Amino acid sequence: MGPLDDQVVRADSLTATPDGLDIAVYSHWYRALPLPSLARVDLTVDGRRIDPAELSVTVNGTRHPLSEVASAGDEYWFTTDPLVLHTPVETAPGREHRVQLLLGLSIPYILTGPDRVPLVAPSATDKTLTAAGARS
Amino acid sequence: MTDTAPGLPRLGTTLFSLTLEQRRPGRDFASLVGEVAARDLGPGLEMVAFQSLRGWPRLSGDQEREVRGVIESSGLTPSCLAINNDLGLYPGRLLSDDESYEYVAVQLRGAAALGFPVARVGIETGPAILERLLPLAEELGVKVGVEIHAPLTIDAPPVAALEELFTRLDTPWLGFIPDMSASMRAVPDAVDDAHRVAGIAPELTALTKELWAEPGPTMAKFPELERRAAQAGATPPQIGNLKMLFTMHGRMAPERWADFFPHVVHVHGKFYGIVEGPDGLTDPSIDWPAVARVLREQGYDGYISSEYEAHAYSDRYSAFDQVRAQHDMLKRLLEAEPAVAAR
Repeated sequence: MGPLDDQVVRADSLTATPDGLDIAVYSHWYRALPLPSLARVDLTVDGRRIDPAELSVTVNGTRHPLSEVASAGDEYWFTTDPLVLHTPVETAPGREHRVQLLLGLSIPYILTGPDRVPLVAPSATDKTLTAAGARS
Repeated sequence: MTDTAPGLPRLGTTLFSLTLEQRRPGRDFASLVGEVAARDLGPGLEMVAFQSLRGWPRLSGDQEREVRGVIESSGLTPSCLAINNDLGLYPGRLLSDDESYEYVAVQLRGAAALGFPVARVGIETGPAILERLLPLAEELGVKVGVEIHAPLTIDAPPVAALEELFTRLDTPWLGFIPDMSASMRAVPDAVDDAHRVAGIAPELTALTKELWAEPGPTMAKFPELERRAAQAGATPPQIGNLKMLFTMHGRMAPERWADFFPHVVHVHGKFYGIVEGPDGLTDPSIDWPAVARVLREQGYDGYISSEYEAHAYSDRYSAFDQVRAQHDMLKRLLEAEPAVAAR
């Protein structure tokens, strides 16, 4: 909840690549978070739920399968940088896609409850946007 | 700079106030610091390291020189660097004490390298780690302050444990950082904007504000809030948002900040909106005359970092203008003659 939620996926976030649709995602949290904070990435494109096992992310120039970010504690997603979500969705420049993303960020310094579990801060996006061509 | 008279608390700004400005196209660290200086919102400069410094906690020598250069050329004075103890870094477990110590120690060294005299940690950094950090803090000349943020109050057990530690160690290198979120007199009006966007009915917002303002410990009010909000048609996620207001905004009497002295190493001037009232600038949700009185009576001459946080709820206001208004209000309050028989 808050003004940053609307910026998680921006008007220019979609890029068509030969391998699929890339989505530039911006954090709704105010500070850089370590990659294991990507606790929940529920992505639906054009009504089709994308299996998280099919997703990978690029942060700081390095690509990680989403399934492996939980151990990438030395890597931080900086406040103003996009994290690029690589999806297998077939696309082409100029094509429109409906992107629904529920992003749950585990906040590693806010521990809640008697078991001291990190707070998960969610943001919800539902936007229909046009994919740009990949820059060569 | 908004200079206050000698012997009084000094004013400043944390870049956290500019969370939304930081995201605007063309903005970078140097431009934010430069504008804080250009608008005379110093002399103190605070920032959240993980928010403002790309590459934290492992800055290269060049990056350190660049950050120091930006601050020095702005004419601002480093007041406090907010660092984090990410105990929940990895899923399913918390960092061990050794890992946690190292995680914070690296950042404490980073704070020293950038010239900050105080580093802020959260309450998740408990007495054992703080005691272990003491020799390093002393060696580096960086005080470590634990932020007392809502929902904490002076009566919370972890706060009592810290007070016991600070009293026992009798050191100037460890202490508290009061944050005014813990001692509010009303839920800020800016939440109305966020609730409108989230589809929360105004009646639910009003109900939450009303329950918040009633006497009694906030935690004890959660069941009633859940029950009455559900009756009024709130969905479970909306009830979560309403409960968040109880967590983010505390109701401790501001006079109780006196009990944190002499262990106060820095102050967060948290606020959510300054408005023009019949008697000049005023803050509807924080009793700044009472806070200013406590700080003066305690002889506090450290920094108050203006920390505008309504950006979490609304993008309708300029954070720069809001900090300006808070500085003008604080300078007047701090420099006013002591009120006679004010209480």
